[in-house]
Amino acid sequence: MNLVGLLFGAMFGFVLAAGQLHDYDTIHATLRLESFYVFGLMGLAIGISLPLLWILERRQITTTFGGPLSLSRSKIEKHHIYGGALFGAGWSIAGTCPAPALAMLASGATYGAVAVVGLFIGLWIRDRQLEAANHAIREGDGERSTLPHTKTLGAR
Amino acid sequence: MGLLPDQIPWWIAGPLLGLLVVGLFAVSNQPLGASGAYVQTMKTVRGDSDSVSWRVFYFVGIFIGGAVATILGPGVSIRTGYTALHAAGWSELAIVVVVLLGAIVMGYGARVAGGCTSGHGICGTAQRSPSSWAATATFMAAAVVVTFLLTSFTALGDISPAVPK
Repeated sequence: MNLVGLLFGAMFGFVLAAGQLHDYDTIHATLRLESFYVFGLMGLAIGISLPLLWILERRQITTTFGGPLSLSRSKIEKHHIYGGALFGAGWSIAGTCPAPALAMLASGATYGAVAVVGLFIGLWIRDRQLEAANHAIREGDGERSTLPHTKTLGAR
Repeated sequence: MGLLPDQIPWWIAGPLLGLLVVGLFAVSNQPLGASGAYVQTMKTVRGDSDSVSWRVFYFVGIFIGGAVATILGPGVSIRTGYTALHAAGWSELAIVVVVLLGAIVMGYGARVAGGCTSGHGICGTAQRSPSSWAATATFMAAAVVVTFLLTSFTALGDISPAVPK
């Protein structure tokens, strides 16, 4: 699974960098509504993957390393909204987001490192906050890395 | 090296990302997210027993893939990556502080929301998750509003970004 992770990460980073999604101007031209690039890209990515995942789900396929395919669909809660609002604000200010920040640094943009460090600090602050409040840290639908039936995934 | 164009069109990059999302689900039952990879990498560095190792390889993979595409395309050029902010007359210190603070807010928000542009924005929406659609709509709207404020009230408004095709 580690090799699978490396390969998928590499293909992901490749597409992001080939599309210049790590470029401040690409992001800001879209967020200024002067370009359709990022909206079109995300729309097509969803347009391709949503129906295909739906078909795979209906066919109840078994994944190679993760057991039966189980897509997660959580109900909307307040934290999705205010977390999203904070994320969007940070995305605009830093002009990059988590995966593109890595590709940005890889392309030679030195301040990509500042963004990567900032991201780690932000995630860390939230986890400390939940720990201090004795709250269980739950994984959202976008960040899940383990599932109940795939607990040993990381060990493979 | 110029083997790749400097920027591939969105109608090629979008479907490729979509296929990668489906591929990772089909192989491992996991979303092609990024903030989760940061979380697992942080846990691994801290030595937590419940860290997920493949996400760390995935994290490193994103960097490697980004480097390969850059080498095949426009080539690696050492720069800050914030030409627009320099052009707007911001000092080096101001840029570093603003980018750092922006990234902290972004990381915090991603962890509160449970995903980022890829995790919620593409993988969660493709899973037909209501929470992901809500988070995505919110961060898109927030980003457009904050960008409007930045261009309205700072010198960034005088700088035109290069508009991709």
